[in-house]
Amino acid sequence: MGTAIAEGRFAFPVLEGIHLIGLSMAVGLLLLTDLRLMGVFLPQVPVRQVHRQLQPYILGGFAVVIVAGTLLFFSEASTLIVSPPWPFKFFFMLLAAVNALYFEFVIARRPEALPEGGPLPLGVRCAGLASFVLWALVIICGRMIPYIPHWA
Amino acid sequence: MSLVELLNWVQTSRFAHGIAESNHLLIALLQVVHVFGFIFLLAPLFLVGLRVYRLVLTNYPTEHVVKQGRKLSLVGLSMTLSSGILMFLSAPLHYYYNWAFDTKMGLLTLAMVLYVGQFLWVAALNKQHPALARLGISMSLLSWIAVCMAGRAIGFV
Repeated sequence: MGTAIAEGRFAFPVLEGIHLIGLSMAVGLLLLTDLRLMGVFLPQVPVRQVHRQLQPYILGGFAVVIVAGTLLFFSEASTLIVSPPWPFKFFFMLLAAVNALYFEFVIARRPEALPEGGPLPLGVRCAGLASFVLWALVIICGRMIPYIPHWA
Repeated sequence: MSLVELLNWVQTSRFAHGIAESNHLLIALLQVVHVFGFIFLLAPLFLVGLRVYRLVLTNYPTEHVVKQGRKLSLVGLSMTLSSGILMFLSAPLHYYYNWAFDTKMGLLTLAMVLYVGQFLWVAALNKQHPALARLGISMSLLSWIAVCMAGRAIGFV
């Protein structure tokens, strides 16, 4: 399958395009949620509403990203694993996932964490900022892969 | 001066040479800005689309969502256009003879027209003719998706 993608004329760019569109939907809507957690986007809308209502579309977008990303990996695994930004991309993804799980299962379950209005607690704003920065680093590392193919 | 001569003049200019012959990480940086711009541009469009289809934030007016998304989307558009222009200037003749680039520019023109129309009229249209508003936002999103697909093909043709 990896060879078919690598050798097909348009399979690779089509998968790259799908990867980017999925990313725009998943990470894009996630960044909007992060900006809401930081209090700079849709400040009149309760955080819980933004968080819960956008979640299915964020997860749907990530499903597209993961499928397309896995197929892209199969087609150039040997070059990817020696590229320095590649492990960093996964490291930052892991940190972003831990941050999201901690927010979902610890911070968001505190009764006072997500008030209907007014300023949000510092922990909530920090979780939003951390998510924003970590996903930005994931994208930067991902885009750097073709430009930094190996160590030194 | 023909278009090819003009592009040749740009390509041999000191500015274009400066970009093309600089550290390859400058082009990588422009690519990063281009991708971030695209994400910031598209995310508010997805949100407005979901609102127009009454899938999210239904108890908030569409114009409120459009107004909030507009600023971020315009920042994204500025980032993606400026980085795209700089990448184009590094090798204009190379892009000129690339059919995927020509396709992308055609689609970009369509996407820009729909983009302007969408941010100006979608909220008002959604009140009177929701079906037309849905059609407009769907066309706008599809045109940007097509721009993205054509853009990814540039390096492969």
